[in-house]
Amino acid sequence: MEKASHLSVIVDLSPTQWHLSAQASNQYPLSIETFLSQLLAFLNAHIASKHENTLVVFGALPGKSVMLYSSTELLTDDMPPLDANSYLPFKLVDSTVVRKIMDELDAIGKLEEEPPCALVGAVTKALCYINRITHHSSTTTGVAEDPTTLHDPRILILSVSPDLSSSYIPIMNAIFSAQKLKVTIDVCKVYGPDTVFLQQAAHLTDGSYIYLERRDALLQNLIMSFLSPPFIRKILAVPKQDKIDFRAACFCHKNIVDVGFVCSVCLSIFCQPLPVCSTCRTKFPINTLKRLNAARPAITPANSRMGVPLANLNNAATPRSTSTPVPNGMSNLR
Amino acid sequence: MPVQSLQNTDVILPQHTPHPLLPFLQSQSQNTLTRLYQRPSSCLSIFRLLGPIERQLIMNLLWLESAIPAATMSAWVMPEGKQAYDEALAVMAGLHIAPNSTVKLALNPTFKSSLRQAITGGGNTGSFGTPADKDYKRQSANIENLDAYALERWETILHYMVSSGQGQNPAKPSQGVLYLLQRSGLMNTAHGAILQITSSGFQFLLHSPHDQLWNLLLQYLHMAEERQMDLVEVLSFLFMLSTMDLGREYSTEPLSETQKAMLEDLRDYGLVWQRKASSKRFSPTRLATTLTSSSPPLPSSHSTGGSRAADATGTVALSSGAAQQGFIVLETNYRIYAYTDNPLQTAVLNLFITMKYRFPNLVVGMLTRESVRKALSNGISAEQIISYLTTHAHPQMRKNNPLLPVTVQDQIRLWELERNRLKSAEGYLYKDFASQADYEYVLAYAKQLDVVLWESAIKRCFFGTLEGHSNVRGFIERRTGAA
Repeated sequence: MEKASHLSVIVDLSPTQWHLSAQASNQYPLSIETFLSQLLAFLNAHIASKHENTLVVFGALPGKSVMLYSSTELLTDDMPPLDANSYLPFKLVDSTVVRKIMDELDAIGKLEEEPPCALVGAVTKALCYINRITHHSSTTTGVAEDPTTLHDPRILILSVSPDLSSSYIPIMNAIFSAQKLKVTIDVCKVYGPDTVFLQQAAHLTDGSYIYLERRDALLQNLIMSFLSPPFIRKILAVPKQDKIDFRAACFCHKNIVDVGFVCSVCLSIFCQPLPVCSTCRTKFPINTLKRLNAARPAITPANSRMGVPLANLNNAATPRSTSTPVPNGMSNLR
Repeated sequence: MPVQSLQNTDVILPQHTPHPLLPFLQSQSQNTLTRLYQRPSSCLSIFRLLGPIERQLIMNLLWLESAIPAATMSAWVMPEGKQAYDEALAVMAGLHIAPNSTVKLALNPTFKSSLRQAITGGGNTGSFGTPADKDYKRQSANIENLDAYALERWETILHYMVSSGQGQNPAKPSQGVLYLLQRSGLMNTAHGAILQITSSGFQFLLHSPHDQLWNLLLQYLHMAEERQMDLVEVLSFLFMLSTMDLGREYSTEPLSETQKAMLEDLRDYGLVWQRKASSKRFSPTRLATTLTSSSPPLPSSHSTGGSRAADATGTVALSSGAAQQGFIVLETNYRIYAYTDNPLQTAVLNLFITMKYRFPNLVVGMLTRESVRKALSNGISAEQIISYLTTHAHPQMRKNNPLLPVTVQDQIRLWELERNRLKSAEGYLYKDFASQADYEYVLAYAKQLDVVLWESAIKRCFFGTLEGHSNVRGFIERRTGAA
């Protein structure tokens, strides 16, 4: 018997970005209303595929993240009235998601400056949720060892905001937890420039990252690329990105760096040589610092590939290839 | 690279056995199917019965306005998935969902518009069931009552079957059910007027409730054809039930005459609940609402210890795929401990074990050669016994790997083999050949055709199958004619 699959959808609800996205000056303007109507059709398609499929929707709002819908718990008290023309679960998803989004957007009110969207918060909540349902089913019912009941969890991120370099570390941590939980992260970039971190997230968890070019074909893109659970993707291929930007952000200024300096003890990344590692407090010899500083302005292509590592006493100049940033041009390493 | 993907493990595609209803639908005319596809709820239910690849293909095509070249779609197919893809297309063509064409690929327009309507809502087909007005005078049946009702109905049927041959007098199901059981060959009246369970009936008892239900409904559909009922009405009503919400009341007003007549039958099977036969409202039970899903159609039997606790979580969709709580412990010494006080489960176990002791909540028995041979002679196969024990194994047993003791499994299979020491085949014996050369010449020809079952060079004769006879005979005649 085929497994039921779980899908967590994370919707980026940044008001500014959606406003920009709806501008008529774009080649394919996409307003949040059209986006939502197509998204709801996609969510329904997921539930339609199998009675047991589970679905959770999270919204990433400025400064906070909220759960918009969950197929396992009721978030609102009032059920929509029954209607002979629509399937109740679909109607429940549609009305709950729209209601919650409206409530949250109304609650934002007028702000001086919009805080960045809490995308990481939403990803983390989604991971916690997945952990809970997979863990839950393995403890209460003895059947969980039975492989048929295990879920096949996926996270789909619909992103419109640009990268937030201050969230590099939490995003990376989220990616590692996703790998551990065997969760696939798919990313659909609906608007705005490519985000480096989400590209990496999709690549590292075997998901697909898609930059939506034809934004008038959102629904078709969602269904073709993100509806199928992983085992179907072995038969019907889905598009994947061929070029991934593997750059990392430095820990000191949160800049995305082409060439960084890596602490040889804890592997923290810095954009300039430091006398003491800010993470693990390792002191570096003054000679090495001098040499590195001297080497900084003239970066030869050979060592820029590896980055120039900060070194401790033991091995002064051994390049650390692990977790060393790779410049853009060298990204296609798959 | 910094981090390696941890997910390179190969996922084996789960074996998907096509749903029993699909062959039936494929045998229907295109006209019937197109009429069926006019209802969004039917499209949604049929969509769910399909395999995962078919579903993805339908979804890929659903929102396209025009047909696409078939090559465009097949470009997405991985080389190792080619066969699965072709099979999926064949299924879709058989159901007239996507006409078979090597050039263009598009969905049946009726199916497409109905499925779209199902997903987006709207329209005025009313195919998801018209809810009844709220009845303030009487409380509607709650989910617990509905479950109890469905369970009682269903177990009455099964219990009647299992105890039919044993001189007991269990509660009789209604006449309609009895007729259906007889028609489907699960029971017959071999000895006088008393209904007796048949060997396919014994096999039926060991199936999962979901399979049992569809098995009976398929028979019902065949019967409906003979009773001149409109098949589209019957099917669409079943599909409508499967999309209804458990614990709600629906109105009988918009139903057609055929469907109102069906209500009576479905009440007997436990699929719908009505306060009175004349009531203007009905509620589907869990048997009906899980028709197109793989979640258990019955709440775990009311008897098994601790099943109440399991029920509480079972209704949460979280553990949706969870099967019924198991109750059987099988030891390497062939002893079976079954924690149940359910007479039906006890009776089913009694088909293939020798009972030793019975306690209020526990049955102890042994798998013996006699008991298994009795089951085998009733037409139950060794595989069915093993799969029944596997699916109903106690949670404690789940820790074992393999689940059932290998010795016991092997022994059950050996007992089955014991019965199969003789194999019979119909055919012809060729003997009295004039010379050894003649014999060898004909034998070589027959071996070429692969029709020889047995040969004896000393007695100068051999035995060939029925199918090969005309060829061999022709060969001999040609030879004698030529000589």
